Amino acid sequence: MGEAIVITSGKGGVGKTTTTANLGTALALQGKKVCLIDTDIGLRNLDVVLGLENRIIYDLVDVIEGRCKVHQALVKDKRFEDRLYLLPAAQTTDKNAINPEQMKKLVTELKRDYDYVIIDCPAGIEQGYKNAIAGADRAIVVTTPEISAVRDADRIIGLLEQETTIAPPKLIINRIRQHLMTNGDALDINEITTHLSIDLLGIISDDESVITSSNKGEPVVMDPNNTASLGYRNIARRILGESVPLMSMNVPKKSFMSKFRSLFSSK
Amino acid sequence: MTKKQLISIKGTKEGLVLRLDDQCSYAELLEELAKKVSDEGFEGQAEVLLQLGYRYCNDIQKKEIINCVQQTEHLRVTKVQSEVMTVEECNKKLLENQSETYVGIVRSGQVITAVGDLVVIGDVNPNARIVAGGNIFVLGRLKGIAHAGSHGNREAVIAASRLEATHLIIDTVIELMTDELSVLSEHPEMECAFLHTNGSIAIDRLQELRLIRPNLSTFKGGS
Repeated sequence: MGEAIVITSGKGGVGKTTTTANLGTALALQGKKVCLIDTDIGLRNLDVVLGLENRIIYDLVDVIEGRCKVHQALVKDKRFEDRLYLLPAAQTTDKNAINPEQMKKLVTELKRDYDYVIIDCPAGIEQGYKNAIAGADRAIVVTTPEISAVRDADRIIGLLEQETTIAPPKLIINRIRQHLMTNGDALDINEITTHLSIDLLGIISDDESVITSSNKGEPVVMDPNNTASLGYRNIARRILGESVPLMSMNVPKKSFMSKFRSLFSSK
Repeated sequence: MTKKQLISIKGTKEGLVLRLDDQCSYAELLEELAKKVSDEGFEGQAEVLLQLGYRYCNDIQKKEIINCVQQTEHLRVTKVQSEVMTVEECNKKLLENQSETYVGIVRSGQVITAVGDLVVIGDVNPNARIVAGGNIFVLGRLKGIAHAGSHGNREAVIAASRLEATHLIIDTVIELMTDELSVLSEHPEMECAFLHTNGSIAIDRLQELRLIRPNLSTFKGGS
C-alpha cells in the first residue's frame, strides 16, 4: 500500500507543479513506483512540464465519469521504464466536474499499485483544493521567500491542520536567492520557519535551469549537477525516510564572493 | 385568623424596599400587591427596590410585578433583587468569568472566540482574529487582530509577550497599529493595550497593568 502526498501552496506561481514533477521524478530515480495526478482541471500544466503533453488520450474526468479505466488514462514516462506515470487533468471542463469522495476513491485505488501517489493541487482554497487533498495521507506546502506567499502558506497550513486524516504538513521553501537573504532583502529561512512553525522538508535555490528544463519537458532533477536538482533529490531522500542535512547555505554565498572577486580581478 | 403579610414595605434612605413573600402562589402575590399599592396612599415620588427573595420569576413575570407596582405614579421600580437564578444563567455567568485556553498557532483566516477571557499559548499570525468577551492574553507573538471585551466590556485588556498586532479592538474602539505608535516598533516585548480614560486605546508596559487595572487581579490581600 503506497502513500499519497499532496503538493499545495495556496498562492499560485510558487512552484507546485514544478515541485510535483521534480519530486515524482526524483522518487522514480530512487527506484520507487510513482503516479502523479494533476488536479488542476481546466488549467493543466504538469503534462507540459514532464514533456508528456502529446501522449494524453484520456484524463482525470474521463476516469471519474467512467469513460475509461484508470490504467488507460495513465501516461507512462518512457524515460523511467515503468516507474513514473501521470494522470493528467482535463482541460475542457472545470474543477466542479469532480468531488472529494470520487477523488478519495481514485487515490485509494492508485495507492494499491504505486509506492507514491503525488497530487498536484491547484492554487486557491476552493473546490479544486478540496478535491486535491481528499485522498492525501501527507501534505507538502510550497512557499517562496515572499510575504504574500508566506501568508497564503499560513492560511493553507491552518486548513490542512483541520484535516484529521492528513499528517501535519511539511514545508518546502522554493526559489531561494541567497544574496537577497544575506542582504536582508528577502525573508530568510529562519524567519519563514518560525512564522509558519512547521517542519522544513527542504529548500530549493532559484536556478534558471529550472525554467529552461521545464520548457524542454525534462524535469531539472534529471540533471545531477545542479543546485536546484540537488535540493529536490535531498527532499526525495527525506520523504523516503533518510536523514539528509539541509543544503549548506554558504555555497551560494561563496560563489557570490568569487563572482565579486572575479569581477575585481578582471579589471 | 390574621392572614400572613405577603408584602412588607420598609422605608430606607434610598427609598422604599418592597419585600415580597416567596412561598405563596404567584397569583395571590400579584393580587395582594395590587391591593397594597392602591390602598397605601403614597405621596410624592418614591424609588422602589423589589426583593423577590427565593422566588424565581421569569422576565414576563418580573415585568408584570413592576407594572403592578407602577400603577400609581408615586412609585418607580429602580432595582429588582432575587436570591435565585437558573442553571442556564449560572452557566453563562460562569463562562463569562472563566478563561479559555487555546494551545497552538492561530493561523491566517482562523477565528478563535471565547465568552470570557482568552489565553493563547502560541503565536497569532497575521490575518488571524482572536475575540474574547473578557481579556486577551497571548503567550507568544500577537501579529493578527485581537478583539477584547467584545460584549461591551471597556475594562478589558490585551496583553502579549510580543504585541505586534495589526489591529487592536477593545469594546468598539479600533486602533490600527501604524508606525505612529512608536512605542511598539521599538520594543514590542511584554506589552499590554487598554482603553484609556480619553476613549482611545493606549499601550503600556505589562508591568504597569497592576496600576492600570487593579481589579484584574483576583488575589486579595497578600502576605
